[in-house]
Amino acid sequence: MSGPREIFVRISRCTGCKTCEIACAVEHSASKNLFAAVSERPTPKTRVYVEGVLPDKRVPVLCRHCDDAPCMHACISGAIRRTAEGVVLTDTDKCIGCWTCVMVCPYGVIGRHLETHRSYRCDRCPGREIPACVSSCPTDALIYKTVGSFSDDVRKHVAEEMIAAKEE
Amino acid sequence: MQMDSVKYLIIGGSAAGMAAAQTIRQQDAYGSIAVLSAEADMPYFRPMIPYVVTGKKSAKDIMLSGNGPYVATGIQILTSARADSVNADSKTVSINNTWRMSYDKVLFATGSSPYIPPEIQGTDTNGVFALRTLADARGMAARAEITDHAVMLGGGLLNLKAAFALLARGVKVTLVVYSPEVLSQLMEPEDAGLIRIALDRAGLKIKTGLAAEGILSDKKGVSGIALSDGSELPCKMVCIGKGVRPSTAFLSNSGIELDRGVVVDRHTACNIPDAFSAGDAAVTFDPVTGQRITTGLWTNAVEMGRCAGYNITGKRTAYAGTFGIMNATQVADEPFVSMGIVHTKGTDYEVHASASGATYRKMVFSPDGNRLVGMTLIGDIAGAGMYRYVIRENMPVKEIKSLIISKKLHYGHFM
Repeated sequence: MSGPREIFVRISRCTGCKTCEIACAVEHSASKNLFAAVSERPTPKTRVYVEGVLPDKRVPVLCRHCDDAPCMHACISGAIRRTAEGVVLTDTDKCIGCWTCVMVCPYGVIGRHLETHRSYRCDRCPGREIPACVSSCPTDALIYKTVGSFSDDVRKHVAEEMIAAKEE
Repeated sequence: MQMDSVKYLIIGGSAAGMAAAQTIRQQDAYGSIAVLSAEADMPYFRPMIPYVVTGKKSAKDIMLSGNGPYVATGIQILTSARADSVNADSKTVSINNTWRMSYDKVLFATGSSPYIPPEIQGTDTNGVFALRTLADARGMAARAEITDHAVMLGGGLLNLKAAFALLARGVKVTLVVYSPEVLSQLMEPEDAGLIRIALDRAGLKIKTGLAAEGILSDKKGVSGIALSDGSELPCKMVCIGKGVRPSTAFLSNSGIELDRGVVVDRHTACNIPDAFSAGDAAVTFDPVTGQRITTGLWTNAVEMGRCAGYNITGKRTAYAGTFGIMNATQVADEPFVSMGIVHTKGTDYEVHASASGATYRKMVFSPDGNRLVGMTLIGDIAGAGMYRYVIRENMPVKEIKSLIISKKLHYGHFM
């Protein structure tokens, strides 16, 4: 399938183990090693947040790299841009920590790094074939595919279920 | 008509104008786009000019072109080109009183200018600033070299940023505020406590309940300021931050409807054909109160400019309006966000305020308690954008109200 790949979340498969959070923070550390990352400064931060919804739903929330990204247009220092691959990136050197992006992100997925006074969010792991959160997820709740390929899978899955139901 | 390339003229080269130019280019690859800027500098990120005062950034560092979303090509920018009048019948604009430019579609995005209270004597003295342009920032940086003490008039956000820029340069700064507390437009005095503590700690001297009477000068420019309590403060610089007013004088007698700013409909169109307006220059509306407002926020101007860019190219797009009050920033290590209805004293809005040592959180609901209408967050501003969304969409909050109050709301609750 053509088009850039996106991170999809299959909520029904998430058990809330937070392995993705750990993998994300480690990937965004200097050492890229869990044991070393724990004591690193500035503290490596996760950019995916596994949230709980009562009674028992778990929802990994992360930057959607919106087509019409409010953060990118709101940024007062020109620190947020879109790459050719469609990833919305915050340039830490240009960020001044004014938090306008935090004020406009409807998903609440832009973090404030208090040690560096810069904002941070999912960068889709440049340099990795598959983002760390996706490859770490033990239940395949996180999927890295193109929109077309993901919706094909969903259609196929539904068709299979319908056939199975008919055969019963 | 559709086969010909359209001639777009944008008057104003800042947030709204450049965001519109960017959007027009996305929508129309062939039209000619000209942007007139009265300033001598190429378009830049205006909110960044305090960093030019401190010297942390150069003018080059804050240029718009090529940064963030501003990557479109084929936009002609004319600097030092001030529009002085518009003839809507002949579709031409007079520039610098010397030449005229014609257009098929025009956007008025001239922004706003600092309000200089006429009752203050001597505001034209050398060393008096109202920090608005890159040229002002350069002037302030130069004057700061010979300034040991500066007095800031006005306790708004812009003046606080200017004050911190000067503090960073080692200048002693006194902030003179007529209101009982700083940031009175953005929050109630009782809510600004944490910010006031942070400002005091940062070394900013603040005098409240005072106005300026006149600026004193000698042959080197500003030498002091006379205040309403009869006192005089010696200083070499005065910075006026008393808000902004839409820059629309060039449109008087043009037949374009004005009411403080340029009046537009929900699709950013003026009362005459093929004319649009956006940003500080335009009158917009508050989705919470429904009132006509003008704002002076970069983020709002970009949003409305983009919307105008769609409309001007024929893609009809309604502007969702903006809160009269909305801002986020960090002053003296204290982050805050304020938006919507936050002045609640003497009203029947339902207010839920909570404070810890380092944070303050005030959530304002409609009197019937069914809608979130505003908030002030200090110290911890996580998820502010989500609340903005709840306010702006006028969302019924019954199901999520306790989560909003207890700070437990996250995007998972909307899925």
